[in-house]
Amino acid sequence: MNKIIQLREAVVTGDSEQAINIAKELLESDISVKDVVDNLTEAMQELGEKFERFEVFLPELVVAADAFISAMEILKPKIDQEYAATGAAKKPTVVIGTVSGDYHEIGKTVVGLLLQANGFEVVDLGADVDHVAFIDEAKKHKADIVGLSALMTTTMPAQQEFIKIAMEAGVRDKFKIMIGGAPTSREWAEEIGADGWAFDAFEAVEVAKQLAARTA
Amino acid sequence: MSNFRMWEVFGKSLDGPFYRDQNEYIIKRFIPIMKDVIKKYEIKWDRETVVNTDDKFADTVWNAAKEFFIRVGVYHQNAHRVMEFSEEEVNEVLESLEPEYTVGAGHDQRRLGIRSVEDGVHRPFHLFSPDANFSTDIHKKACMAYLKEPLLDGLCAPLLEDFMGRKVTSNAPTEVAAAMEHAMNLRDAQRLVGRPDVYTVSVGTAETDQAQIAAANPSWGVRPQHLDGRMVSILTEMTTNSQMLNKSFHYRSYGNVFGNLAGAVYGGYAGGIEGTLILQTAYAIEGACLYGSIWTLHFPFHLRWQSTTTRELLWLQSVLSQAIARNSRLSFFNNLFANAGPGTDQVYYESAAHALAIEPSGGHPWGCATCRNKFTDRATPLESRFYHETARASFRNRISREKANEICIKLLEKYEENIPIDNYGKTIQEVYDMDKIVPRQEYLDQFKRMKEELAELGVEYPY
Repeated sequence: MNKIIQLREAVVTGDSEQAINIAKELLESDISVKDVVDNLTEAMQELGEKFERFEVFLPELVVAADAFISAMEILKPKIDQEYAATGAAKKPTVVIGTVSGDYHEIGKTVVGLLLQANGFEVVDLGADVDHVAFIDEAKKHKADIVGLSALMTTTMPAQQEFIKIAMEAGVRDKFKIMIGGAPTSREWAEEIGADGWAFDAFEAVEVAKQLAARTA
Repeated sequence: MSNFRMWEVFGKSLDGPFYRDQNEYIIKRFIPIMKDVIKKYEIKWDRETVVNTDDKFADTVWNAAKEFFIRVGVYHQNAHRVMEFSEEEVNEVLESLEPEYTVGAGHDQRRLGIRSVEDGVHRPFHLFSPDANFSTDIHKKACMAYLKEPLLDGLCAPLLEDFMGRKVTSNAPTEVAAAMEHAMNLRDAQRLVGRPDVYTVSVGTAETDQAQIAAANPSWGVRPQHLDGRMVSILTEMTTNSQMLNKSFHYRSYGNVFGNLAGAVYGGYAGGIEGTLILQTAYAIEGACLYGSIWTLHFPFHLRWQSTTTRELLWLQSVLSQAIARNSRLSFFNNLFANAGPGTDQVYYESAAHALAIEPSGGHPWGCATCRNKFTDRATPLESRFYHETARASFRNRISREKANEICIKLLEKYEENIPIDNYGKTIQEVYDMDKIVPRQEYLDQFKRMKEELAELGVEYPY
């Protein structure tokens, strides 16, 4: 079986070990890494669409993403080399996390996984993330978008505070800011000056695509 | 686990297996064990049933949930370790549970305890709760509006969003102050409507441990012992942290009859509805073992709609209730989170379906939260009244699970297709005359019409 197809199957079934082994073989081969990346991205996208229809659930997406990332890490030297040679644009990067004072992980994890499945580079900072840590990581990874999740009404103000701090730190125009979370709304996003808000993780992907297009 | 083991339980966070972060715990431990348990116990939903009538299936779910909890343990975010409980420890906790507690005092004293499936003796405990934020200027009046409800046995009061014109912010002085103001308003409201000793689950405005501790005061704030309840969360999924353990320690030392709050996400880490069912059932066991909580508030919710009234989740709550009621002495509530808002017909359909799915299954009703819990002032006592009157009617009429299933299917026909549509209805100021704190006639007429519609489906209301 074609190695790319084998790798795709390992990723979709969440077999990280197998994905790493095949990626190592591909690293040594003369196969175009772009074909590999395009194929895996397509597979992840299909999985994301199945998740949207509740044909698969988060566990399938989580283990597939783990295998996908494992394979990409192995292939990274070749990806960098090939992309540098062809001048291809880098994938849009999203730094994502749950805001300070909020310990809920799952919301931003789902968004992060779906963004990954749709070709974004995602840096997940976890929960209870300090405002300054968001800014530092956004700078470090040259983020196109910063995604702020809040699952409680008492942590929604942290989204507003981050936007204020980003302005005062002089980095507000360096990236777009998306917010989300169960108690948030479009009205709240507009009130605090966020660039994007989505009802759920699936809509978040579309909003992120629009925002990324504006930063390109 | 019972109070005399509290420090042994806290100690588990110091010597359990290490996982770098929650993601590693979920991928390497939670997901494989859940998949294995679902397969081993052959848990499957037929998609046709809304209210389960299969006792054997409920028992299988209980056994699956117990095994899952023992094998997976609880991830502690700060300690980066899994707190593990042996089968012997779990059995000790389950065996030492008290089946009934007296809560509140005076003429508002009530019994809160276990119920059985199709219970003909123990009536539901009617816990009213909007689970929503209210504006500061109407907060006390909103508390009064709920406390005026005749069926109310307990109240989890409206939350405050602002303090002195500032947004209440977690971990900040505004949260501590708002938690205190919330408790003060509630005490005042209770006296003003003649229900000073009603059991309240307080205070929802306090998310953090320090705010909960600050709001505890026998003279003006949250009262000790059986007079008030509190809540401590299990984080999504099977996760806790030092803040949560601090809360449970404070609640136990303050003597409150408190609960654990747990919401498994349908579509989340547990996968499909079968895994979500096992997980949510395990949460009842976890609350008693980890926090020593007296009851559980179940709010398994839909990843997309953030509600508890979809077909899958009604089924889940019916099985969950039967599994716990048939196999343990764990007390529990089922939380109604409706998609629609006040003043819509849909919120009444959703409320009735939830009441009928859980009452004959042995659950206590808790609600009603509305419009995906997103908006300030967008909840009223009227939809809660309808929800609790329907649960009460179900008990009074001894509605069987089979009959409840039939009615729920008819109700789903009325609202299921509309779930994706935003239908957020009215604010409390629109539905109520907030000077007199009574519903406006237009909405009382709607309330009456909806009861007549339910009566045609077979729910006989006593008044």
